[in-house]
Amino acid sequence: MIAQVTREVRSSFAVLREGVRAETSTLKRLGFYASVLLTMVVTLLPFYVMFVTSLTPNGEIYTNNPSFVPSSLTLEQYVAILTGGTFPFVTYFVNSAIVATATATFSMLVGVIGAYSFTRLEYPGNDMIRRGVIVVYMLSAITVIVPLFQLIAKFGLVDTRLSLLITYLVSTLPLTLYMLWNYFQSIPVEIEEAALLDGYSRVETIFRVVIPLSLPVLVAAFLFAFKIAWNEYIFASVFLKTQANLTLPIGIEQINSQFENVWGQVMAASFLTTLPIVVMFLYLEKYMVEGLTAGAVEG
Amino acid sequence: MSVGTRLASAVGADRYLENPVERREALLGYLLILPAVLLIAAVILYPIAYNIYLSFTTVPLNPAVPPEWVGFENYQQLLGSPRFWGAFQTTLVFTVGSTILSTIVGLGVAMLFDRSFRGRRLARGLVLLPHVTPIIAVAFVWQFMLSPLWGTIPNLLADWGIYTSQVGLLERSSTALPVVVVFSAWRNFPFAFLLFVARLGAIPNSMYEAAKIDGAGAVAQFKDITLPELKGTIAIVVLLRFIWEFNTFAQVWLLTRQVLTLPIFAYQSAFANFEQGLGAAISLLLFIIQIMFVIGFVKLFGEEKV
Repeated sequence: MIAQVTREVRSSFAVLREGVRAETSTLKRLGFYASVLLTMVVTLLPFYVMFVTSLTPNGEIYTNNPSFVPSSLTLEQYVAILTGGTFPFVTYFVNSAIVATATATFSMLVGVIGAYSFTRLEYPGNDMIRRGVIVVYMLSAITVIVPLFQLIAKFGLVDTRLSLLITYLVSTLPLTLYMLWNYFQSIPVEIEEAALLDGYSRVETIFRVVIPLSLPVLVAAFLFAFKIAWNEYIFASVFLKTQANLTLPIGIEQINSQFENVWGQVMAASFLTTLPIVVMFLYLEKYMVEGLTAGAVEG
Repeated sequence: MSVGTRLASAVGADRYLENPVERREALLGYLLILPAVLLIAAVILYPIAYNIYLSFTTVPLNPAVPPEWVGFENYQQLLGSPRFWGAFQTTLVFTVGSTILSTIVGLGVAMLFDRSFRGRRLARGLVLLPHVTPIIAVAFVWQFMLSPLWGTIPNLLADWGIYTSQVGLLERSSTALPVVVVFSAWRNFPFAFLLFVARLGAIPNSMYEAAKIDGAGAVAQFKDITLPELKGTIAIVVLLRFIWEFNTFAQVWLLTRQVLTLPIFAYQSAFANFEQGLGAAISLLLFIIQIMFVIGFVKLFGEEKV
C-alpha cells in the first residue's frame, strides 16, 4: 500500500512540475501568495529564531523586550560550546555520529540481504516474515523499553554505546527491510535472471546487480536509519549515565535542565544538531521524499 | 521417509525440498533472512513477551533479585487510579487533536502547492523541515520562543494586549496540552502534505475543467472532485498518524513536563519511580491498543500488498 503511494509521489511530482492549475485574477493571485507566505512563516519561524538566537550575544537575549531582529551578531555561543566552556558538546556530537553511523551501517547490511531474501527467494514462511516486518514497523519503542532495560542491565551493558546500537535496531531494522523490500520489488526479475544465466551465483547477483541498481534507495535507507539513531531519545535517556557517553539529545537536554539561561548555547547546539540532517535532506531531496512516504517512522 | 522429510511435507515444504535447485534457493533464503529474524526476535519479539511477564510482577531495584509475581495487582492498581484514566484521556485528546490538525493543515498546504508558482520547488523542500529536524532541536526552540521571560511570542502577544500572564504557556497543564497539540501538528503536517500533494497531482486536470464548464465553483469542485479522490489517502494519513501519535513520547516529554500521556506515565513509572512492573503493564495496554489499530490498518489497506 505505502509502496503504491511512493510510486504515486514519484509519478505525480512529474505532473506537478508542469504546473497546470493556474489562476488568473489579480486578487486571487494576491491571496494565493499571501497564503504561501503565511505557510512559510509558520513553518520556518522556529528555525529563524533558532539560528538568530545562536548568533545573538547573551546581553541581548536576556532583555525585557526581546525582538525578532538582534542589533548585533556574534559567534560567541558557538565558540563557547565548541571549546567546551559549559558542557562537552563536541563529545556528544562525536558519540551521536558514531552510534548513528554504526546503527545505519549495521541495519543496512542485515536489511539488504534480509529484504532480498523475502523479495526474491521462495521458501515456506516467507509471507509470514514479511507480514511480521510490516506489523513490527508500526510499533514504537515505548512497548519494549522496560524489558529491554532489564535485558541491557542483565548483560551489563548499561552506559555503553553498544546498548544503543543494539536497541536502535528496534526502529531502524523494520524500516530498512520495508523500504528495501518496496524497492527490490520494482527491479525487473529479468535482469537478475540474465545475470544468473551468465553464471553468477545468487550471492554474486545481489552484490553485482541488485545493490548497484538500488543505490538511491540504499542511500535513502541509510540516511533514515542514521536520522532515527541521531534523534533517538528514550533509550539513550534510560541507558546512558556518564557525561562522556551521552548522545546529543540527552546532552542538550541536560544542559537545558541543569544550567540557567544558556539559551544562546542551547540554540547553537540545536542548530549544529540540525545541520547534518537538514543538509542531507536538502542535498538528497529526491530520495528523501521517497523515503519519507515509504516509511516515516517517528524518530 | 525420514522424520525430517515427513515434517517438511506436513508443513507443505516438500515442494521446495524435492528439486535441488529450489532447495538451494530456500536454504539461501533462510540463511539471508536469518540475521534479520534473529535480531527482530532479540530486540522486539522476545522483549514484548518478556514485557507481558514483567507486567505481572514487581521488579526489585537490585537487578540480582528476580522479579516477584504479583498477578493482576499492577492492572488493578492502574484501572483503579484516576491518574491512569486522566492520562488515558489526555492521550486521546492529544492524539485526536494533533492527528486532525496535522491532516487538515497538510491537506490545505498540499492544495496550495498544487499549482505552479515561482520558487515552488524550494518552498516544497522547506516545508518538510519541521518533520525532518531532530526533535530535540525543535522542542527547545519552541520552549525558548514560548518562554514567558525571554520568549519572543509572549512578548509579541503582550504588545498586542492578548497575553498578560507571568506564567508560561508550557508551565500550566491547561495551556500546555493545546500547545503540545499545535507543536505536534506543526511537526507532522509535512508528512500529511507529502502524501496529499502526491495524490492531488495524480488527479487529471480534465476533471476540474469539465466541472468548470458545468459551472461548479471552487467549493463544489473541492467537495465533488478533490475530496472523493483523496478519500483513500486521507484514511491512510489519519490512521498512520493516529497509530504513531498515540505512542509518541519524546515529542511531548521534551516540550513540557506538564502533559501526562500514557507513554509518559509508563516512562515515569518505570524509570523515575522504579515501578518497572507497573510501567510494563502500561506499555502492554498501549501495545494492545496499538496492535488493534495496526491490524485495522493492514485489513483496510494491506490485504493485497502485505
